[in-house]
Amino acid sequence: MFANFKKTKITALVLAVSATLAPQVAIAEKSELVIHPKEFPTLIRNFNPFLTTSNLHTTADFIYEPLVIFNEMKGNEPVFRLATGFEMAKDLLSVTFDIREGVKWSDGEKFTADDVVYTFNLIKAKKGLDFSGANKVVTSVKKINEYKVEFKLSEPNSNAPYDIVKVPVVPQHVWSKIDKPEEFLNENPVGSGPFTAIETFTPTLYVQCTESTYWDSANLDVDCLKVPQIANNDQFLAKAINSEIDWSSNFIPDIDKTYASKNPHHKYWLTPAGTQSFVINFKNPDAAKNEALTNVDFRRAFSMAIDRQTIIDIAFYGAGVKNDFASGLGYAFESWSDEAVHNKYKKFNTYNVEGAKALLAKAGFKDINDDGFVETPSGKSFVLEIQSPNGWSDFNNTVQLAVENLEEVGIQAKARTPDFAVYNKAMQDATYDVAYTNYFHGSDPHKYWNSAYNSKFQTSASPRFAMHHWKNEKVDSLLNSFYKTADKAEQVKIAHQIQAIIAADQVTIPVMSGLNNYQYNTSRFTGWWNEKNPQGRPMSFSGIPERLLQVLDLKPVK
Amino acid sequence: MGFFLRRLSFYFIALLFAATLNFIIPRAMPGDPVTMMFANATFEVTPERIAAMKELLGFVDGPLYEQFFIYIKSVLTWDLGISVQFFPLSVNTVLGNAVGWSLFLAGTAVLFSFTLGSILGIFAAWRRGSKFDTIVSPGMLVIQAVPQVVTAMLLLFIFSITLRWFPTSYAYTAGVTPDWTSWTFLKDVAYHAALPLLGASIVQIGGFLIAMRNNMINLLGEDYITMAKGKGLSENRIVFNYAARNAMLPSVTALSMSLGMAIGGQMIIEIIFNYPGLGTVLLNAINARDYQVLQGQLLVMTLFMLFFNLLADMLYVLLDPRLRKGA
Repeated sequence: MFANFKKTKITALVLAVSATLAPQVAIAEKSELVIHPKEFPTLIRNFNPFLTTSNLHTTADFIYEPLVIFNEMKGNEPVFRLATGFEMAKDLLSVTFDIREGVKWSDGEKFTADDVVYTFNLIKAKKGLDFSGANKVVTSVKKINEYKVEFKLSEPNSNAPYDIVKVPVVPQHVWSKIDKPEEFLNENPVGSGPFTAIETFTPTLYVQCTESTYWDSANLDVDCLKVPQIANNDQFLAKAINSEIDWSSNFIPDIDKTYASKNPHHKYWLTPAGTQSFVINFKNPDAAKNEALTNVDFRRAFSMAIDRQTIIDIAFYGAGVKNDFASGLGYAFESWSDEAVHNKYKKFNTYNVEGAKALLAKAGFKDINDDGFVETPSGKSFVLEIQSPNGWSDFNNTVQLAVENLEEVGIQAKARTPDFAVYNKAMQDATYDVAYTNYFHGSDPHKYWNSAYNSKFQTSASPRFAMHHWKNEKVDSLLNSFYKTADKAEQVKIAHQIQAIIAADQVTIPVMSGLNNYQYNTSRFTGWWNEKNPQGRPMSFSGIPERLLQVLDLKPVK
Repeated sequence: MGFFLRRLSFYFIALLFAATLNFIIPRAMPGDPVTMMFANATFEVTPERIAAMKELLGFVDGPLYEQFFIYIKSVLTWDLGISVQFFPLSVNTVLGNAVGWSLFLAGTAVLFSFTLGSILGIFAAWRRGSKFDTIVSPGMLVIQAVPQVVTAMLLLFIFSITLRWFPTSYAYTAGVTPDWTSWTFLKDVAYHAALPLLGASIVQIGGFLIAMRNNMINLLGEDYITMAKGKGLSENRIVFNYAARNAMLPSVTALSMSLGMAIGGQMIIEIIFNYPGLGTVLLNAINARDYQVLQGQLLVMTLFMLFFNLLADMLYVLLDPRLRKGA
């Protein structure tokens, strides 16, 4: 009897094992790319492409393919996807897109101009869905024929195609039946992109795979995307070091030691990101601080006091490029720079302790009360508080180092690390002294300059970037006219004028141009973009449409 | 009867008071959900985009008193609104997904540590001064005095990261579809819960132990214990039926309070072990300024606290005849 019992037990065990193994074997035949696009406390099955703040970050590009992908690293060179071309009208007041024939939705229906027209009318009707602000650019959309769509623009705008393709096109035959698209979770998406079939979904992991309907499947060698739930950077690090992730874009402190040295397959590549600067409050309520901060020589002395290379080496583990452009432009946009202007003000943005002291003295900043720190020309003493958001450790270290730099030249300063909300509010309300912030990078300097210096972004609802509260009408009008022309030479001319005005006033104090994080693992896939194969921005998160192009370049290791 | 009515009206006032605080506290924090959402944005944040977001989330910048009445109405109808962070999920869904895991984790930990702590306390008191008492009682107090963050991190580091005996996160293996009828799945859940449970229990044992031990010691000097001994009753009968039963009284309150707190989740444990309970939800809601979820969570915590307090009151009446006569 005992023998019998043992046998049944073993049989049962074998059965159980084979039962659990069987489906796994089936999955293992498919190549799964483990991607980490974003931290989530728990995964909610939400593939609505318009709900960009709560949906899953493999929705854009991978389920809803863009019409065109503008490759930012290559000067916004268009890569045609669901569209085969577009043509701008001479007056820049309309643009026509040619839709690719033969593209199918994942349920087999044809993808046509009707879907594009429907989508743009949908975001007109439901303003909450217009997450990219396309309504401001496009006034109306018209179907010319089955595969041709015309967009009427609100003003002459050579950049309109770039804004238009940010809108995810959804299938009319599905979405027109949805009562409240703004509350639609889209759990089983019908999409146009490479990974439309949700094969597994749990709160801790999901897998989305390709389907036979995908139009470009001949170029696709990755079968599925696998996305584990990761709540924060510590959990990410544990998994990355264990080689559990193929593709990510997180900050890894001291990356050579903590990540790259752990496994020969662990690789990374840093690509240029936006300018990072100290922002000065031009509307400080404190009289003494206001006197100092609105003095251009004081701002220049501040800038000369900053040891940029040391900050990059210590706070950013060497990942950054010095930015000595008084206009904040940075070396990534050198081709847009008026070098005469750059060189004229370069000395004010280069580390020089003696020069800073001399400039302060010349401007009347002297130490009257012998405390070791300068007073304003009218004799008032002041302590600058420099803020960066709590928990942004590289920024916090930057500020700490800058405080030491400033004290060396005789400017008394203190580091502050308020909660982000407090930091942000102080900037909007103009109640702070100095703040450290990053900026966007773009294919041309307009994105950075416009968000950083256009006074229309100084309302209480605006983000932190233009909160120096410095205003210049000429700069505003130049920024607003930038895309009114499609002529690059004309744009460069406008850029030179903007550069000259901002540089002459040393509005902000640029420190460095940051670098984008990107890590990849060569043990399961090859063909990754890197410094030897720089095809585009390689990051894995939503908002980088080039990530679709990189997936098409990947080959599973056999 | 009067006793209950008095208690009930007290609880109702306490609930209203707590509900008001729940409304005020999140709003006293600087920042709003939309700002926090775009804090680390990797895309351009235009005023149009912010306006679209506010429209989508149905933000009303109405006067505070108006918001307050809407809130009170939502409390009474149990329609707690929509989460900002997990839009368009309702607060009820967000909390519902987490409440089971928290109840399981924190409830099991409380019951386990109460049972173990009380039994150890009974023995420590009965054999007061023995080797057992001199080692276990102060030992448990020392463990209790160590902050939970430290014990939990140590457990994670030793058993999950160094020895790799237990998983580092999740309530069950990632990618597995929950199947509560499957024995394999239940084992998987138990395996993932082991370390969080240990971390949540170990720090609570000392409190229950000392409470029980002290009550017992007081009672052991009473005349009726001497009488029982004099009658020649067995040791077990004296310890459990005469002494422990009476000494339980204050411990029942402590247990009830602990259970009331349990619904708040074991925040520290849940975050360290990436366990999907209410504590994790609460922290994320605070970080995202998700007012609706915060309010809902605080409300649920208040209700549980009050309910278990009421339960303690009623148990007292059952256990202590003096209160029945007093009423």
